[in-house]
Amino acid sequence: MKPRGGYNVNLIGGPSGVVEKLSPPEKLCIPLHSRHLKFSELRVADGDSVSSGQTLAVDPEAFSVPLLAPCGGTAGLSRLDGHIVIENLNCPPDPAPDPELPTHVPYDSGQAAEKRRKLLELGAWQFVSNARTHQVADPDGTPSAVIVSTVHLEPFVARGSAICTGSINELVRGLEHLQSLLEYQAIHLVLPNVKLELAQDIQKTIRGHAWLKLSEVPLQMRYPFDNQTLLARHLGLFTEGDETVWFIPAAGVIAFDRALTLNRPCTSRIISLAGPVVKDPLHLEVPVGYPIDKIIAGRLTQDDNVRVVNGGILTGTQITEDQAGIDTECSGLTVLETPTVREMFGWLRLGCDRRSFSKCFTSTLKKAFGENLSTSLRGERRPCVACGQCVTVCPAGIMPNAIHKYLFSDELEQAQRLRTDLCAECGLCSYICPSKIDLYDELVRAKVRIAEELGPPAEEPEEQAAQENQEEDVA
Amino acid sequence: MKFLANLLDKARPTFQKGGSLSALKPLFDAIDAFMFNPLTQSKLAPHARDPLDVKRYMSMVIIALIPCTMASFYFFGWRMLPMIMVSYMAGGAVEVAFAVIRKEEINEGFLVTGLLFPLILPPGLPLWMVAVGVMFGVLVGKEIFGGTGRNLFNPALVGRCFLLLSYGGEMGGAWIEPGGGWFGRLGQYAETSVDAVSQATPLYDAAAEIPKFAPLSDLFYGNVLGCAGETSALALILGGVLLLIFGVASWRTVIPLLVGFGVMTVVLVGGDMQLVVWHYLAGGLLLGAFFMATDPVSSPMTNGGKFVYGALIGIATALIRLKTPLFEGMMFAILTGNMFAPIIDEVFIAMHVRGLRNEK
Ligand code: SF4
Ligand code: SF4
Repeated sequence: MKPRGGYNVNLIGGPSGVVEKLSPPEKLCIPLHSRHLKFSELRVADGDSVSSGQTLAVDPEAFSVPLLAPCGGTAGLSRLDGHIVIENLNCPPDPAPDPELPTHVPYDSGQAAEKRRKLLELGAWQFVSNARTHQVADPDGTPSAVIVSTVHLEPFVARGSAICTGSINELVRGLEHLQSLLEYQAIHLVLPNVKLELAQDIQKTIRGHAWLKLSEVPLQMRYPFDNQTLLARHLGLFTEGDETVWFIPAAGVIAFDRALTLNRPCTSRIISLAGPVVKDPLHLEVPVGYPIDKIIAGRLTQDDNVRVVNGGILTGTQITEDQAGIDTECSGLTVLETPTVREMFGWLRLGCDRRSFSKCFTSTLKKAFGENLSTSLRGERRPCVACGQCVTVCPAGIMPNAIHKYLFSDELEQAQRLRTDLCAECGLCSYICPSKIDLYDELVRAKVRIAEELGPPAEEPEEQAAQENQEEDVA
Repeated sequence: MKFLANLLDKARPTFQKGGSLSALKPLFDAIDAFMFNPLTQSKLAPHARDPLDVKRYMSMVIIALIPCTMASFYFFGWRMLPMIMVSYMAGGAVEVAFAVIRKEEINEGFLVTGLLFPLILPPGLPLWMVAVGVMFGVLVGKEIFGGTGRNLFNPALVGRCFLLLSYGGEMGGAWIEPGGGWFGRLGQYAETSVDAVSQATPLYDAAAEIPKFAPLSDLFYGNVLGCAGETSALALILGGVLLLIFGVASWRTVIPLLVGFGVMTVVLVGGDMQLVVWHYLAGGLLLGAFFMATDPVSSPMTNGGKFVYGALIGIATALIRLKTPLFEGMMFAILTGNMFAPIIDEVFIAMHVRGLRNEK
């Protein structure tokens, strides 16, 4: 499948390449669930003293992926709903990297099972996802291919370059560990298609090494071509319909190295703190559970009328009181202003300062520029006017407007027939819809409902033939 | 500005739930949102949104209609003003009534219908007929289907069709001789009783086989008898091209329509190129092609469907014009096209789904 659709939303306040390591806080508030994980099986009791790297809970639905304690201290289970709070922290600093560590690890495929178990226990496995479902991949499974990506395009999540810079050796060793888990399968390494020092450094380090079997994928830097499902499709890895493709972001490969070379648990994350109202947007290295209010305190240009988003503006989730700390899947915090001023006759303005996917503003005549986007809906909810923009922008090649029409009349089978399952969950259709229809949310929900209520599509040859006949009749 | 905002703020409680005028909430909301951008926020991801909204989208059509509206003022005088106002008011009343009954928002799509409708009427038509026509169009063409976005037919065309079928005589006798010179009829209020001429429009004569009735240049500039906004090809092309540039009208409809019409006309009239050009410029073809057939709601939503739909309308127009006693084919062709749009979509959606069958 060829890449199609897509659109780069230009938001001001992108994170710089700086990665700041935050000093340990007074306490950690570790959320018991994140986007894909739910750590419902607790392994500690209230008041237990825990040590750094100890398993606090596991997700029984996701191959017992553990939630690890980033620091030692006293665990509190009832302090905060949905969180494990660790107080009286004792955070051993990471020892300085050993200069003696070799750049490469020897090839050893004999201990694959042992390695996988270790990765799971040390918290590195949660980065490995099934590219079709975005859920954590089965650690005992065999993928048909593996995609490793160093590109993150959504505004704003931690950039691949910030994660990899300074960790190139770790990345390469991680890739080697990954290779030793596999048999014959190819690793597709996704790099930006623009000339970046980082990409060249990675290539240089890898090329010196013979047994690593990588195919490099230069990626067009347009959102959401970095999406795991789309990558797998574009690379032609989904042809049978039942393949498992693993997707691992660069941070995950670096975690592999940490777990397998250094034997250390992976409990910290590099996140971005960015957006129009952040003073100096940057990257932060924080332990999981770091209190969010501590992170943003003093770093915003205004304290009121802001919305903090866990992730990027297109697919992130709003952080409410229910979440006090960084979760284990967090890749960035994006802070947006909430609108407070009502503009008079706003819809009549020429719109030099409004960048739009459509060509209805004079900004079309200008080059792309960053815009200060707020959380404003910028219009009112209306019935679909059939403008067709969602079809143009959709990278999955489906018709969100037609699916919306069927979902509106609750015809789930029709939505299934129109291949709702192909939706890559990028959020662009909702972003550009002039009628402000929440297509993205609708489609994501419909996907789940279709999988639960209808199961896999019935593909009977008779049905297809009947359909063809019908088409001919009509034509 | 502040004063206006305060005024609206003060009035708001009256229209909220429990207020004395809460039934008119849609009207108040529409005025409120018309003046000041609402502060509504995105509730779900994506947290920020594109600046385009339906108001802006529809106002692009209005902008594109400015040239031919101006041309109608120039050629037929400021009688156009009451026509447009009556159309807006009468149609608006229906729209508001339905919004109030359904407790829904007032839809901006009506702003386009209200302006388009007088432009496709004979400029000397009595105002009460304008009112009746637009009310019928909005009511039957749109509201009974559930409002903008759910209508099957183009409401303006439904209104015109209704007038033509019920008041054919008046419709045929309300032409106004176009003005000329520097100011045209800009200074005049052409009264139907005095100025109306019930002579042939250019297309009528085409049916009577006197095709070279109006010189091509007059047709191009619009200096001919005809419906208010349809006469000036120049103004229509200007607006139409704008609309294509804005991306509101789809070239996928316009181009097949014009090509289909041309091919069919050549087939039917032979190689007389001048006559073919004449047919392009005369009557409602250009207005229909740029502004009516492209109405996204009543045309197919699939890209391939738009092609077929456009070509279908073009061919049908030529056939109706040249092979039936009706002298204007555009309206019926588009209404027919509207009728087939869902079926065309079905076919193309089936093809689209088939195209995706290899994606697992
Ligand atoms: S339908 Fe899915 S893949 Fe397509 S634009 Fe919307 S969210 Fe993205
Ligand atoms: S973008 Fe919105 S209004 Fe346009 S076709 Fe899609 S759903 Fe309809």
